[in-house]
Amino acid sequence: MHAMQSPSMNAEAVCRPALFELRGISKEFPSVKALDDVSFEIRAGEVHTLVGENGAGKSTLMKVLCGAYRADRGSFFQHGKQVSIANPIDARKFGIAVIFQEFTLVPYLDIAKNIFLGRENRGALPGLVDQRRIHAEAKRVLDAIGFDIDPYTLVHGLGVAQQQMVEIAKALSQDARILVMDEPTAALSERETKLLFAMIDRLKKKGVAIVYISHRLAEVFALADRITVLRDGRKVATVLPAETTPDQLVSLMVGRSVDTTYARPHRPHPGDVVLEVKDLDAPSGISNINLTVRAGEIVGLSGLVGSGRTEVARAIFGADRISAGEIRLCGERINGSTQDSTRRGMALIPENRKTQGLALARSVGDNVVLAGLRKLFPSGLFVARKAAQAARAIVDKLRIATPSVHRAVGTLSGGNQQKVVIGKWLNAQARFFIFDEPTRGIDVGAKAEIFRLLDQLVHDGAAVLMISSEQIEIVHVCDRAYVMRSGRIVGELARDQLTEANIIGLAVHR
Amino acid sequence: MSSRTVAPSLIARVPGVAIALIVLCTVFAFASARFATPTNIANILVQSTILLLLALPMTLVIMTEGLDLSIGAVLTFASIILAVIVIATGSLALALSAALAAGLCFGLANGVLISVLGIPPFITTLGTLGIAQGLSLLVTDGQSIVGIPRSIESLYSGSLAGIPLPILIATLAYAVTHILLYHTRFGTYIFALGGNREALKIAGISVRGMLIGVYLFSGLMAGFAALLLTARLNSAHPTAGIGMEFDAIAAVAVGGTSFERGNGWLFGTLLGVLAVGVLRNGLNLLAVPSSAQVASIGALVIIALFIDGLRSEP
Amino acid sequence: MNKQTTGRADIAAPPRFGFSSNVMQVLYRLLAAALLCMVLASLSDAFMTENNILNVLRQTALLFLMASGLTLVILTAGLDLSVGANIALSACLAASVIKATGSASLGVATGIGCGTFVGLANGLLVTALRIPSFIATYGVMWMLTGLTYFYMGGQTIHGFPPAFRQLGSGYLLGIPMPVYVMVLFLAIGTFFAQRTIWGQQVYAIGANPVAARLSGVPVQSRLVLVYTLSGAMAGLASLIILARINSAEGDIGENLTLPAIAAVLVGGTSLFGGSGSVMGTLIGALILTLVLNGMNLLQVNASWQPLVTGVIVLVAVWISTLTRPSDE
Repeated sequence: MHAMQSPSMNAEAVCRPALFELRGISKEFPSVKALDDVSFEIRAGEVHTLVGENGAGKSTLMKVLCGAYRADRGSFFQHGKQVSIANPIDARKFGIAVIFQEFTLVPYLDIAKNIFLGRENRGALPGLVDQRRIHAEAKRVLDAIGFDIDPYTLVHGLGVAQQQMVEIAKALSQDARILVMDEPTAALSERETKLLFAMIDRLKKKGVAIVYISHRLAEVFALADRITVLRDGRKVATVLPAETTPDQLVSLMVGRSVDTTYARPHRPHPGDVVLEVKDLDAPSGISNINLTVRAGEIVGLSGLVGSGRTEVARAIFGADRISAGEIRLCGERINGSTQDSTRRGMALIPENRKTQGLALARSVGDNVVLAGLRKLFPSGLFVARKAAQAARAIVDKLRIATPSVHRAVGTLSGGNQQKVVIGKWLNAQARFFIFDEPTRGIDVGAKAEIFRLLDQLVHDGAAVLMISSEQIEIVHVCDRAYVMRSGRIVGELARDQLTEANIIGLAVHR
Repeated sequence: MSSRTVAPSLIARVPGVAIALIVLCTVFAFASARFATPTNIANILVQSTILLLLALPMTLVIMTEGLDLSIGAVLTFASIILAVIVIATGSLALALSAALAAGLCFGLANGVLISVLGIPPFITTLGTLGIAQGLSLLVTDGQSIVGIPRSIESLYSGSLAGIPLPILIATLAYAVTHILLYHTRFGTYIFALGGNREALKIAGISVRGMLIGVYLFSGLMAGFAALLLTARLNSAHPTAGIGMEFDAIAAVAVGGTSFERGNGWLFGTLLGVLAVGVLRNGLNLLAVPSSAQVASIGALVIIALFIDGLRSEP
Repeated sequence: MNKQTTGRADIAAPPRFGFSSNVMQVLYRLLAAALLCMVLASLSDAFMTENNILNVLRQTALLFLMASGLTLVILTAGLDLSVGANIALSACLAASVIKATGSASLGVATGIGCGTFVGLANGLLVTALRIPSFIATYGVMWMLTGLTYFYMGGQTIHGFPPAFRQLGSGYLLGIPMPVYVMVLFLAIGTFFAQRTIWGQQVYAIGANPVAARLSGVPVQSRLVLVYTLSGAMAGLASLIILARINSAEGDIGENLTLPAIAAVLVGGTSLFGGSGSVMGTLIGALILTLVLNGMNLLQVNASWQPLVTGVIVLVAVWISTLTRPSDE
């Protein structure tokens, strides 16, 4: 797919240099090339939206812009003059402000104090805070964005939308000329979204530029003056909303190159139902979840980040409370504790293996036998030698690269650590596996190996539910997939319908 | 004024400690005829002043998700230093400076160990508690120090314009702490230390410096409290202030300041100090031994923490 | 991500040999203890006398008894500040039961029962009420101290049946009885920690409680078990101490907690959980006792002892923070 540019845009670019421009930005991490020669232009008074799949490079680009990351290659221009951004302080000097999803607000301070945190000393006696002054200035900024609230109000009592407004006011009070917003409407109601849009409009009129990242295509088309699509770290296109459609955007977003080292083997017909989830609701934000997984199949659970997939996994596994519905493993009801579900043969390979899946300071052997202690030692007596033997058997079976089972798990590579986590569940004789982003942080060569492991598992009769944000993985590995959005399952794709475009189409808001 | 910014969101808490205070007063008023007399009430207020001087900085420390277990022992040590120097030199100013210096040294030690070396506050202050206690024993050889000039004693028993001096001192301390917490940048950042440390880092404020400052303040107030303690006892004893840190923590916890969210209410601490004071006074009047008093305060703390846990998000 | 879905990324720069690190730690400390002995022997003639060595053994044993249960709690990254007060209350209750009924076995049962009950209470406060362990046990410590003083009313109980006193003051084959109890505790503690699956789970909880839970470990019940066990061992320890000093009064528990914590930390158990051993605590108790014994022999003022203990605790914790990267 080549980049598309409308002729009218080129003319404009010639007439007036952009407020800020990134040119040829490249950024590499140990296992992945996050950005590859991306150029991005920001104009005063416009809303420039950035769209793309997870991992396309949107947040990396923004982190480079705000100085949190240093680009490996590329340059920055302000009003056509070259500048450098080496750290967040530089970025702030150029008026770049990012509205984080995790707010940087102090709950038990009032709005004004939050807005001016660190910058209170405006001419008052050293050390003392001039209350009246900062509250008056805060009121000014709040009025400017149309947020009518008493600056003495504590942030603690504010709703998410209001806290967001405070964050925006905070950024503006630092003379932000470029405001970056990452999925700002994720936690907002319709009414609050309208208010946000009205505020954005006001900001545009003041000449503030807004970079808006969103998956909600309806919003993108409502707000954007220009839309840039990223894919696999590259800029695919910059278009005007009037000249494209949601479907076209989707097709621009997908279409990754295929990893040819792995090929899905032929899998026999799936066996009995192993996992059955009915009408599951949970306080963690999911509702009305119904799904089944049979022996011998790998079922995908896809959707965008924040759509609730991990919450579903945790609810099934018993790590989170559920408020309604039932979960059955091989016909028997699960009572909702991790002890119970693991005893019955459930396994969870979590998203973040270092903090959730392993005790890094403990040995490979200790980690491998942890979930299966009861099964290995029914009497309760632990015999170190037997445990080491069992661990060695697993290490051999999975070909985990470690000189000894007594090595600390933290010394292993990412791929091998993941194998230890999987090994833990093999040792516990699990029959149903939930994989949450199984290949995250693993280099390309090891990914194929992990997939072959999954194949082996289902070949031996296990059932697998696989969560992945890389649509290409779902398409190539899974037999079928459910797609989630906003805490619900919005579709199920059978083998013949399982394409990236179909997944994305269901996953994003139209 | 900014106290109204605190009260609204703590509406749920005001009843807590205020109710406790009212209930305690009512119960004791009925249980003992001597409770509700003007003399006794004045007594409670005066006796509570030392505790208030300890509970005020403790509020700030707890707001930063820390704890200062050493404050009682530092108070003791500072009072011993004060006594020794005032007897040796006759100069109250010198003695007070020495006491303040002693408090500041321990405060600095605590702050550095916690912020620079990263040792958890409860272990750090447990350690410095032992050190302060040890130093107190060493200097006094286990004996009391007597022979303190009369003028010091009058600091505790005297009054100005009809108001007992300790109460004036305590009021001053409260005012200073109030201004510090609600009207200075230091105080603003204390809320952030407990509520959202990231926000401070992003704003470029030194978290380390702040933590050292908080514990320095604690040590300083312990030094001032030493003056009142020595005046009250008219002597200095190596076990005088032991256990006061517990009353201070209890007062802060009952007063509504929580241990984890940067939520601090100074006035609540004041009420908490009064609650503890009323509890001790009432139980004294009922001839309940000091040991059982400690047990009941312990129960009070656990109840307060339990309620605090109930109120917070799971 | 909220706090509940992530655990700590790491607790130590991953050691090369995760399994045998415990053994290495114990060996290093044994070496340190031996060096200390040599230094003390050269500094004071009185060190190597039979009397002094037995004294050191007995003191080590008493300290270890208090610290052994505490080790299990600290392994889970918790802390029990109420150990001393628990011992005091258990000892006083046991003493009055023995005095009242004349039965030593009833007294023993009372002591252990009281200790267990306190341990259970601690466990419930930490798991069900979710109060951080250092605060919960701090509050419990004061409550117990108060209860003990209240119960004793300033009185002292002394004069126990000789058979009972043997537990603390007696000798068997020339070695003080407490040493045998120490070996018993070492066996119990080590057995639980290294030879049962619950012990393995306890180590896992200390190393990474989130991962442990997601591996099917019932974290809450194990924590309650650990605190209860710790309390029971404290109860048993109180009886030996009672038998040794042959009297019970309200302030027995004073100045017990800090040395117990010091013994555990010096023994190599990390305050942050997941690594350490009961054997290590024994060596730690030995080292601490040697230091205090040395101070006595060199006629250093006894008032220095709490100070030195405090410094030792701080140094021990500092060393363990050095080997642990920050949580950034």
